[in-house]
Amino acid sequence: MRMKKFINEPRRIVPELLEGMALAFPDKITLAGEGIVARAQPKSADKVRVVTLGGSGHEPGLSGFVGKGMLDYSVAGEIFAAPGAPKVLDTLRMACAGGEKALLVVLNHAGDVLSANIAMEAAARENLNAVMVLTHEDISGGPNPDDRRGLVGFLPVYKVAGAAAEEGASLEQCRAIAERIQQNMRTLAVAVRTATHPSTGNPIFDLGEDEMEIGMGQHGEAGTGRLQLKSADETAAIMLAMLLQDLSASAGDELLVLLNGAGATTLMELYIVFRRVSQILREKGIRLVRSAVGEFITTQEQAGFQMMIARMDKEMIRLWDAPADTPFFSKV
Amino acid sequence: MTDRVTTSELKQMLLHAARCLRSQAEELSRLDSAAGDGDHGTTMLRVAEQFEAAVNDPQSQNPAALLSTCGWKVLSVDGGASSALFGTFFKGMGEGAGEGDPDCAALAEILGSGLSSILKQTRARTGDKTMIDALEPAVAAVGKTAAAGDPIAVALELAASAAREGADGTKALIARYGRAKFLGERTLGHADAGATSVALIFQGFREGLKAGRETNHG
Repeated sequence: MRMKKFINEPRRIVPELLEGMALAFPDKITLAGEGIVARAQPKSADKVRVVTLGGSGHEPGLSGFVGKGMLDYSVAGEIFAAPGAPKVLDTLRMACAGGEKALLVVLNHAGDVLSANIAMEAAARENLNAVMVLTHEDISGGPNPDDRRGLVGFLPVYKVAGAAAEEGASLEQCRAIAERIQQNMRTLAVAVRTATHPSTGNPIFDLGEDEMEIGMGQHGEAGTGRLQLKSADETAAIMLAMLLQDLSASAGDELLVLLNGAGATTLMELYIVFRRVSQILREKGIRLVRSAVGEFITTQEQAGFQMMIARMDKEMIRLWDAPADTPFFSKV
Repeated sequence: MTDRVTTSELKQMLLHAARCLRSQAEELSRLDSAAGDGDHGTTMLRVAEQFEAAVNDPQSQNPAALLSTCGWKVLSVDGGASSALFGTFFKGMGEGAGEGDPDCAALAEILGSGLSSILKQTRARTGDKTMIDALEPAVAAVGKTAAAGDPIAVALELAASAAREGADGTKALIARYGRAKFLGERTLGHADAGATSVALIFQGFREGLKAGRETNHG
């Protein structure tokens, strides 16, 4: 099937989309270099900078969360591919230019981790004060944390670390709160239909008409189990049970639940799924204290969603509620 | 006279590696579709451009400068793990090279330095169905040739064959590393795209050395 996307020259997709995003939110974000999105108004010099990196084609993730109370910089790579280490290093230099400190949040994907590690080694040689936090909460990767990918859990990590930084927390405090929420979150994804790679025009995976796949990554990497397509309620129950078990969540726990549409799954469907999630939690005596439903990281027109749960404490809830003003996530 | 690779021959090797990658870009994307997101060919086209940019960079006056420049330029390609690892390979070769023209033993050391840089950045090892399956035997072949006292042209012949065999051998392997590992047994029967790129680069090195020597002596 011929690709039907409104693009121009395929090689110009990333610069053109970032240019458009910056033009659409001029009061929030600005381009600080090729593929580098920065806050329109930098926070004061004594505060920790929160920096992230990742491939493009997942809009609004990740650059859509640059702004007050969340990210200071996002380094955007090519479509579904990590940005190169030199650009990450340039961004760390910018973030730490006046002796500031930086927290680099990295989603566990081979390319992102490689670029981050190479950039962090060079940053250490230059005596830049930066530390790295890796998010890896995708339970389909199995029990080994190294095998778990970083999915939509980046959102609460940016949120609480960004809020802490905004309040003037130290680099160590920012790192600690980011690490705490990352260790208390779990995500699982499901896909029912593939997307087209915007650079190649090819589908990124095959899935039968009546199948769904649990554990699908946000690049369309195949997951662990293919099942017959199920209803919203059944899918919600299967996924939530796996997440609760992995987190060892039980009655009395307080959870943040996040549903992230993959691109072609409607809000209608997400709310129907969320309804069932909420019912099951109530039946189990688990408190749903905060929630977010929407598109935070997409994979083109892939159909499916990610379900994320995070065990919250008072401090994390307070930081989640703190003010934020970014193109795709705001709190007043 | 000791058999050495000159900087201009190294440049020919990079240019031919770029040519080999470019001629197979579509095939590389097709292989990647079987296990990844199908963009490996696109990435390697960008890597090939950086080989050419490094050759034309005024800093690339000696082997160390040429290979380091090439490494940093390849790292700057936003190509995910592939370009990060190939960039690391060339940057590592640059760190193992000096300003003088290497003989076969020095070339083996340069390649070995590139390989160990990669092995520091990835947990993938031989048998995991990655670029390492082609790279390790290719580097080893140059080492063996150097030890036997054979000429560099022979070393690159053997390295190119070893890389090709390594890449073809990945068809029989199940991915245990990288994005493809999530597919498990579904990766059987397809060669790994990264290993195939390594084979193309070493094919280019062999052809480039030959072409460089024909121009110089022919």
